[in-house]
Amino acid sequence: MIQEDALMWMIRTRDPEFADWEGFTAWLEVDPAHAAAYDALMAQDAALGEMIPADPVHMPAPANDAGPPRERRWRPMRWIGGGAAAAALVGAVSLGVMNRSDIYTVTTAPGQTRTVALDDGTRIDVNGGTTLRLDRKDLRFAALDKGEAAFTVRHDEADPFRVNVGDAVFEDAGTVFNIVRSGTSTRIGVSEGKVIYNPSAQAIALPAGRALTEDAAGIHVMNIAPEAVASWRGGRLVYANARIGDIGEDIARSIGIRLSATPGAAAMRFTGTIALDRDPVRFFAGAAPLMGLTAVRQGDGWLLKEGDGPQS
Amino acid sequence: MDMADGLSAIFLQNRPALLRFLRGRGAGEDAEDMLQDMWMKLEAKDLGPVADPLPYLYRMANNLMLDRYRSAIRRERREQGWAESAGGVMADPAGDIAVDERMILTQRLEEARAVLRGLGPRAELVFRRFRIEGVGQRQIAQELGVSLTTVEKDLQKAYRAMLALKQRLDTE
Repeated sequence: MIQEDALMWMIRTRDPEFADWEGFTAWLEVDPAHAAAYDALMAQDAALGEMIPADPVHMPAPANDAGPPRERRWRPMRWIGGGAAAAALVGAVSLGVMNRSDIYTVTTAPGQTRTVALDDGTRIDVNGGTTLRLDRKDLRFAALDKGEAAFTVRHDEADPFRVNVGDAVFEDAGTVFNIVRSGTSTRIGVSEGKVIYNPSAQAIALPAGRALTEDAAGIHVMNIAPEAVASWRGGRLVYANARIGDIGEDIARSIGIRLSATPGAAAMRFTGTIALDRDPVRFFAGAAPLMGLTAVRQGDGWLLKEGDGPQS
Repeated sequence: MDMADGLSAIFLQNRPALLRFLRGRGAGEDAEDMLQDMWMKLEAKDLGPVADPLPYLYRMANNLMLDRYRSAIRRERREQGWAESAGGVMADPAGDIAVDERMILTQRLEEARAVLRGLGPRAELVFRRFRIEGVGQRQIAQELGVSLTTVEKDLQKAYRAMLALKQRLDTE
């Protein structure tokens, strides 16, 4: 009985909103064994963190979410590193399209990069954890299903290069640009020339030094330092007021680790340059304090979090 | 009014309740000294705005007791020469892990994964949101559109299963 009560109080007091400290005091005062049972459980709980595999969690999508009918719809939560289910889904989609013999898929594992040179002189640098579809019969077509790629496009006024990302289309106008696709959000940064976002709909022109994000919150256009675009190719990541959530995904993709962030940490923002390092221990030793965060090993991955709250 | 002053004032108002709490937590004769330590820390630290000062102070006191328990266990282990033993409450997440240890770790993670899967998707999700991401039960209940009681029950179920697994692995 003490064990059950202690478990209940452990769960309650671990809740960030817990406020019934007087009730907790009253329970503790009943029997000194209560405090002992609680302490033992809290210590066990602290050790659980190491044991929990860093798997992505999937959450049921809201009912109004558009998706294939008669299929159980799951929306990946803000877990970084790519889930088996999400990967399987991407695989299934690619397979369907791949039946058309002219489409082929370029994939990279997290931490792995690849450069694709197209016959027309266009170069695509593919970052880790990426799925990109190209068309042998149409050199001006690319579809970024997930991950990140930098496009250095040979411009042709009569036959512009188009990148499909989700429902959006980016059309080049003589250009170097970088696109990140993660879940249902898309980020593009332009370092040279110009890109047109959705030419047949909104037709937003993005000249060099402009960036666009598209997610559930809508479309936002902002400034970006041209040298920050696709900086991962030079072994560093450059940010101006970027969400830690997005940065975490870039890190996971670039150095090939599973990485998640607590909601509090994910919502924080960072401005600066982070040097990439393949050794995660060394990398986080430098990068986590720089971002004002703590990185802890968690299961077979890493977790970014804020300070532990009230310091004792 | 300065925020730190605010916390200090609340501390003084609730000193007797905090003392009772520390004694209930098993601080015994040290309860007064611990309160004094808390006071010094509150005075020394430039704390930012605190939304709920009283729960904050209680949590600070509770953390002090948890630290105390941890150091007591660590000392006990050291005295018994267990300091180097792997696993257990105080195992540090070492940067470099030997290969065979890594294999055991991987195996354990697999077992933990299986236990979590066995809870069913909702309980697993609830547990991860709560235990790893530190999200409160009220918010989790809202996200999933279930009652607070359901979330609480899921958490108890998940904790029981994970603690049982931990106990089994520790004695293996």
